Amino acid sequence: MSGVVEALRRRLGGEAVLAGPAVQRVYECDAYTVEKRPPICVALPSTTEEVQAAVLVCREHGVPFAARGAGTGLSGGATVAGVVVSTRRMNRILEVDAANRLARVQPGVTNLQVSRAAEPHGLFFAPDPSSQHVSTIGGNIAENAGGPHTLKYGVTANHVLEVEVVLPNGEIARFGSRVLGTPGIDPSALIVGSEGTLGVLTEAVLRLTPKAEWVRTALAFFRTPREAVRAVAQMIAEGVVPLALEFMDSTFMRVVSESFGLAFPPQAGAFLLMEFDGTEVSTRAELEAATAVCRRCGALELQVAKDDAERARLWYARKNAVGGLGRIAPSKVTHDGSIPRSKLPEMLERIAEIAERHGVVVANLAHAGDGNLHPCVPFDDRDPDQTARMHRAADEIMRLCVEFGGSITGEHGVGLEKLPFMRLMFSKEDLEFQRRLAAALGADPLCNPGKLVPEVGA
Amino acid sequence: MDLSELTARCIHCGLCLEACPTYVLTYDETKSPRGRIHLARAVLEGRFEFDEQMADSIDTCLGCRACETACPSGVHYGSILELVRERMESRRPRPVLKAFTGALTNRPLLHLQLAGSRLLPGQRVPGFLSRALAGRPAEADRPKPQPSGAWPPIDPSELPPIRGEVFLLDGCVMEPLFARVHEASARLLQRCGFRVRGTGGLCCGALHAHSGYLTDARKRALRLAQALEGSIPVVTDSAGCGSTIKEYQALDPALGELAARARDLSEFLVEHGFEERLRASKGLRITATYHDACHLAHGQGVRSQPRRLLEAVPGLRLVPLNESDMCCGSAGTYNLTQPSLARRLLERKWANIEATGAEVVVLGNPGCHAWIEQGSREAPGRARVLHIAELLEASFVGSLPGSA
Repeated sequence: MSGVVEALRRRLGGEAVLAGPAVQRVYECDAYTVEKRPPICVALPSTTEEVQAAVLVCREHGVPFAARGAGTGLSGGATVAGVVVSTRRMNRILEVDAANRLARVQPGVTNLQVSRAAEPHGLFFAPDPSSQHVSTIGGNIAENAGGPHTLKYGVTANHVLEVEVVLPNGEIARFGSRVLGTPGIDPSALIVGSEGTLGVLTEAVLRLTPKAEWVRTALAFFRTPREAVRAVAQMIAEGVVPLALEFMDSTFMRVVSESFGLAFPPQAGAFLLMEFDGTEVSTRAELEAATAVCRRCGALELQVAKDDAERARLWYARKNAVGGLGRIAPSKVTHDGSIPRSKLPEMLERIAEIAERHGVVVANLAHAGDGNLHPCVPFDDRDPDQTARMHRAADEIMRLCVEFGGSITGEHGVGLEKLPFMRLMFSKEDLEFQRRLAAALGADPLCNPGKLVPEVGA
Repeated sequence: MDLSELTARCIHCGLCLEACPTYVLTYDETKSPRGRIHLARAVLEGRFEFDEQMADSIDTCLGCRACETACPSGVHYGSILELVRERMESRRPRPVLKAFTGALTNRPLLHLQLAGSRLLPGQRVPGFLSRALAGRPAEADRPKPQPSGAWPPIDPSELPPIRGEVFLLDGCVMEPLFARVHEASARLLQRCGFRVRGTGGLCCGALHAHSGYLTDARKRALRLAQALEGSIPVVTDSAGCGSTIKEYQALDPALGELAARARDLSEFLVEHGFEERLRASKGLRITATYHDACHLAHGQGVRSQPRRLLEAVPGLRLVPLNESDMCCGSAGTYNLTQPSLARRLLERKWANIEATGAEVVVLGNPGCHAWIEQGSREAPGRARVLHIAELLEASFVGSLPGSA
């Protein structure tokens, strides 16, 4: 064990390898805290070659490794009882090509830094996970991150053109190309969402999206969560597709009003945060159509953000909402199921019933336009009984997602958390095929083991 | 709240990471707020024993509390830090730091040190002290006291009728080291219509609290509260003192009343309509930028008031400073205990200041003042550093004060 630390220090330099009991504690989990696995050490490479060196050292010593960005992942994807390869020091934006609307970046750049670099050119990086000011492009690509604005612009997979990866065997490979439509079987598409099981990402070429000339943001308040999500289903059915369509229930409303000083109508039990972009004419028309649907579905009140500052405040509150759950309990799990949008009203009722039966609080927010629901369960991790009840409720919620024809994850990944649930979604044969495919791409028991695809028959 | 309740508020989301200067400099999560809280919690849960590595994690924390601004769950990180440091003190005492903190906050001892300091060669804090505090040579210069009586007399006809009385906290360093700032603060309060009462050399306990000497801090706080009896406002021109006094309840519930009376100078002036008077002042034709002291922006939430005052100065053009609320590395005694990280933060601060093209950088805290001013002396052509009180008073006088 100590051999691997010494070898890494020789290859990367002492300052780029963190080891010791405090390091093992701090890196024992990411933002999914339920499962903790202290690593042997943490390597902080600064170049692709150093990443390669780290991977080769791990191979020589037969030690597992996993890439980690900011450690904001919600499913334990960066948790490994081996060597953590942190790409956080590889944080340069290598190129912004405004004419061709792309950026070439290192994996440790934060999502927001890419959009900031693109801003002077009237461009932005469309996937916008709530952690975007902290989470890195490497992590976003590994987990195929989404975000509120993916309703209109698509998830990370739709915005990655080319990747450079240190494969599990230590080879450096480039997949994809700088233009859309790489011919043949394109492994870059498989790297996105592979949760670090196919190697360590070291560079990416990302698509940038032009900013619309006009943006409007509105809030619609409803008496009940059911009314709010019925409005969502109705909107989508009528062909009104906003830029973002977010749902928040009363528990979250309490959290964000405490955390960010927002005031809501007292009788409101849920709200929708809607955003529209385009030309002035198209935006106004869409906003009108959406508000008309909300009114028909019983909206109590509609508010349109009056300026950019108010828009920014609303989004800040939305994106930091889950982080505010510390006001309720010392730990939380953030679930991430996707279901057909028409099933949202029924889903929320069933979740409420499950929560009551297990005696847990479930706070719901959702990228409702995508049918991507985040039932969050605040709990006290120091209380084994509460923890067990949280797990039982989570298990039922996941089963419900599958029963409704949905998915056990919309954007947070499988990681450690959802691994057992993969069998709910896929047959033995499906999983066996996924494993064969991954193996063909070089997946290896040393590279982020025990994630994404469960052992068949295990 | 005790340490267990305080740390329980953190759900490990990591949204604080990018706000933390030491994380951004090192990308080592043991030097991040989430990592530090995780270690404290692991100690409480019996999963981890305090060790040298944890000491380094806690010692390298600036206490800037930028993570509190970023935290959606309202974790009181500053209180966690103080309690962890207090616990660490029993495991790993730092007698030199404790003695130094005591000496810096003792008026006669400080004067003695300043007198002695004039006899030493060079600019820097003496090697024996730096080696004892940080194990290496110093980065910080020895303090250079500002001259007192630098402002011309005020024409009494300029002053409005008196409408009240305030205490102006003299503190440990403002009066002896920053006389020109402190006199400007008093003059501004007079120009605002207030009679000013001094507080003598009484210490608020801020430096002690931040280093985890909580018993000592409590003693000082109670002594100060006793001396400042009555109900008139207590104005501070030192951000670190102001934020500590405002949070006195954490030290002792009996101190809540004094806490409620505390106001930062800029906050007090804005609350009393001082912008109007500034607009009628002579003004200054300069380009200025504003650095947010951590204990103003993160500790007290005072961000808009200083900017509003500066914008009211006729002729002054205020330009935004990138990373204005990122710590400059001074952080109380940090530039003495962690010279190399402090130096990197100072250089980063100056790179941002230079990018603004401003002639003057304005701030509201003595620690930042001395440290950023040292950076100004170290390279030719760098902007001047002024406390906001100096700049506002200069607007009435009609010209910037001479170099210290």
